[in-house]
Amino acid sequence: MSKRSRFALILVVLAVCFAFLWPSIKWYFLTPKEDQALALGSREKIKDFSHNMAVADLKTLMDDARADRQGAVDARYATLAKEAARNYRAAKKPVPETWTARALAAAFSNEADALAVLENGYRNRILAIKKTQSSAVKLGLDLSGGMSIIIKADLDAAAATQKDASANAEAFRADAMAQAMETLNSRIDQFGLSEPVIRQQGEDRIYIEMPGAADSDRINSIIMGKGMLAFHMVDSDATAAFESFYRMNPTRTFDAEYKLLDPSIIPADTMVLGSYRKDDYGLDERIGFLVVKREPGLEGKHIQSAETRRDEMGRPVVNFVLDGEGSKIFAELTTNNVKKSMAIVSDGKIKSHAIINEPIPSGQVQLSGFSAEEGENIKAVLRTAWLNVPLQLENQQVIGASMGEESIRQGLWAVTVGLAAVFVFMLLYYRGAGVNAIVAQVLNFYIMFSVLSALKLTLSLSSIAGMILTIGMAVDANVVIFERIKDELRLKKGRAASIAAGFDHAFWAIMDSNITTFIAAAFLSQLGTGSIKGFAYSLAIGVVSSVFTALVVSHLIFDFGTDTLKSKRMSISWRVK
Amino acid sequence: MKKVIKFSRVFLPMVVMSSALIALGLVGYFVKGLNLGIDFQAGLIEKVRLAPTAFELTYAGEKSVTVSLSSSQIDLVSTGVASDNQTFSFPFAQYATVGDLSSALASVPGVSVVTLAPASAPAKGIFANADGQARLSAEAYRLHYLPADAAAIGADQVRAAISSFPEASVQAIGAPADRLFQIRLSDDGADSEASKTLRTNLNAALAAAFGADNVAVVSADFVGSRFSKSLASQAFWLVAATLVLIWVYCAIRFRWDFAVGGVLAIVHDALIMVAFIVWTRMQFNSTTIAAILTILGYSINDTVVIFDRIRENMRLRPELNITEILDLSQTEILGRTIITTVTTMLAVLSLYVFTTGDMKDFALALLVGMTSGVYSTIYIASAFISFASRFRKDKGISKEKAKPVRLAEEQV
Repeated sequence: MSKRSRFALILVVLAVCFAFLWPSIKWYFLTPKEDQALALGSREKIKDFSHNMAVADLKTLMDDARADRQGAVDARYATLAKEAARNYRAAKKPVPETWTARALAAAFSNEADALAVLENGYRNRILAIKKTQSSAVKLGLDLSGGMSIIIKADLDAAAATQKDASANAEAFRADAMAQAMETLNSRIDQFGLSEPVIRQQGEDRIYIEMPGAADSDRINSIIMGKGMLAFHMVDSDATAAFESFYRMNPTRTFDAEYKLLDPSIIPADTMVLGSYRKDDYGLDERIGFLVVKREPGLEGKHIQSAETRRDEMGRPVVNFVLDGEGSKIFAELTTNNVKKSMAIVSDGKIKSHAIINEPIPSGQVQLSGFSAEEGENIKAVLRTAWLNVPLQLENQQVIGASMGEESIRQGLWAVTVGLAAVFVFMLLYYRGAGVNAIVAQVLNFYIMFSVLSALKLTLSLSSIAGMILTIGMAVDANVVIFERIKDELRLKKGRAASIAAGFDHAFWAIMDSNITTFIAAAFLSQLGTGSIKGFAYSLAIGVVSSVFTALVVSHLIFDFGTDTLKSKRMSISWRVK
Repeated sequence: MKKVIKFSRVFLPMVVMSSALIALGLVGYFVKGLNLGIDFQAGLIEKVRLAPTAFELTYAGEKSVTVSLSSSQIDLVSTGVASDNQTFSFPFAQYATVGDLSSALASVPGVSVVTLAPASAPAKGIFANADGQARLSAEAYRLHYLPADAAAIGADQVRAAISSFPEASVQAIGAPADRLFQIRLSDDGADSEASKTLRTNLNAALAAAFGADNVAVVSADFVGSRFSKSLASQAFWLVAATLVLIWVYCAIRFRWDFAVGGVLAIVHDALIMVAFIVWTRMQFNSTTIAAILTILGYSINDTVVIFDRIRENMRLRPELNITEILDLSQTEILGRTIITTVTTMLAVLSLYVFTTGDMKDFALALLVGMTSGVYSTIYIASAFISFASRFRKDKGISKEKAKPVRLAEEQV
């Protein structure tokens, strides 16, 4: 490779690395804390926030329009103005130069359109921040503090409770696992924690991570608690009353966990629950609130089986069968509540609600009036009533935030002093060439960090340890080259020839030694726990980037000295000149 | 030309010494066993600090208020579904005492503060209980402090407090005045809810003895019995697979006897580390395994650089016999071996000095492994090559394989 193309390669690598690092810089240094908190909140929170902001903005705009206030509108209406301009052009009307409140309001035929545009603007802004966060380097629990849990779903026990053992065991296990994941996801979501991580590990384990301090007893009881499925009667009068209250006080109805601030706005024997449906991504989306009776009309344990079907008109229906006791309770319930609405509540969320058309005495229940897809969802919900996957807590780690901060401090010190010591040593021993090694190591550190961030790996104390160790080891490639160059210089070769021969001779030693180290690091990264993984990843990344900096960057710096600065001599040792 | 050092003269005594050290390690392993850490011995390790509560925070209102505490300030981030989202920052430089701080915190809408510490106590150094929720609610969120004149508490007092756990091990961390303890309980796997019951009972016992306000959990680590078993077997197979793959790579790039020598050298390092871990009673946990695996990678790196030189010298100096080649190569590369080890050790030494707990053990194990790595590269790997060469027809000097793959020369 020519010098120029090597230089171009280095620039490209540096630029790409900067692009990798940019989200982290943006998130940690350029995003205000309250925006961070919003972005880390649940999607439900983000939706409510955008809605309320949009409603408030629209109200101000309309008031201003009615008062015909002159002068340009506030900058927060920028997205609305853009959409308004499009509407003006579509209507072949001249786009006003300054957007007054009235001009802006006139662009929309109804308030709902303007509201949607405003709401989208807010939501997109928060979602953009959320996206930045997801591609930024995250601190591991040992640095941020928080809690991690590994749960084993006892699929064998779940399978044993199944009546027909003939069913496809493989598919059943996958199903049961998916259900366990879904349940945990939904429960943790309700908890409103910031950026929880939930993922499946292996066939039957679930890893949950909750950064920030967390009340372990409470989380344990929520996560490990048995699922609750029940039918509750809807109180439609209270629901209507609640809705009008909520419309008037959208920001002062609930606390952070969607509990009522003032419980007296609904009858004492009722509660407010969110009503959900699956959105296009299979995630729960809240579509409204219902006030339901606190006491369940029928508990889910009475359900024996459920299936989806089509009725004679070809419409999808869900049929389920109740046991003897359940049939009696349900018969009485339905007789007393004909033409009233009944909600299916699972883990505190209303999954569906339906109107009771007639008394159902037989214990054979048919639900109808939804799409086929919704029907499948309802069946899945009903199934949780009898398909119980026992969960066992296998591993739990709680790390205090103060301890995390202490670890960050230790890690920073270790990195700083370790790097400094290595640099000083290289300078003392290799003199001028030491500068070369230092530049290579600084770049190495930079590349390592950005690749770590690009791969969305978390930064933990063990990955910092991996970096420190890598710095120490990465110098090795430089040392091998420098020693080779010294050998060549001893043979009275000139600077250019010594450098060329030194790099040439060192090439395979460096490749071989680093490939073997990489093999070890790659295997290490497969070893169970997170702390070892972090260490192994940074070691593996460091090995690759150190080969690059030693062979390409360091070579270029030497060549630059030879060709551009016209150096004839070499400062690489105290003895060899 | 430098004077060639006759490393080969001491091959035999060195091998005997290594074998003795490893044998000693194995004896220790069978007699004393490993000091198994939490990863391999199911149970609970909890770190607690017996420090009084400085103040308690509660919140009532529609916002979500989270506390974030750093060494220089405390932030309350208040967000909700309306526009008035705000971060309240209270730097300790400005609010130096608990009194100042708690009255300032109370000014945040909806937040109420109950101050338990004397108002003059310094605000810097307060820390949160790990077992609390950083998002404030009606339940009190406790922040603790360690008074300057706090009486020292010994591990014995803690042991007495939790006498309901006869097998518990209590260890004081740092000075007695720090009042920081590590408590370890084992779990026999009989109770399926051990994670919960062990912690609840332990915390209740501590609270009964020292007062609920005075116990701050720093960290807690629970590992169930099933988990630890899978980790052990996983670690074993990974080490085995790593060794095989390294052997294969070296056999392809060099010769089979080089490959065996290299693998022997790194197995040697791993065993020396195990011996060290056994005799120093260092905790054997996943971090220690990581250290051993790291040394496998580090030591092979060293060894391969020497192999490369041996191969080259075989080509350049066909007149020498294998022992002379080994000595020459070792001598030529000695500078590099020492410098690389020194730089890596400098880095690891800094890790050792500045960290505590597991990480410190990790660094120490690495230092031992590195020393052994340098030594094994010079003596163990080469000794095996020299030994194996006696049985080769070509006496170890193979010419046909001694062609190093060359980088294209046109870049000169």
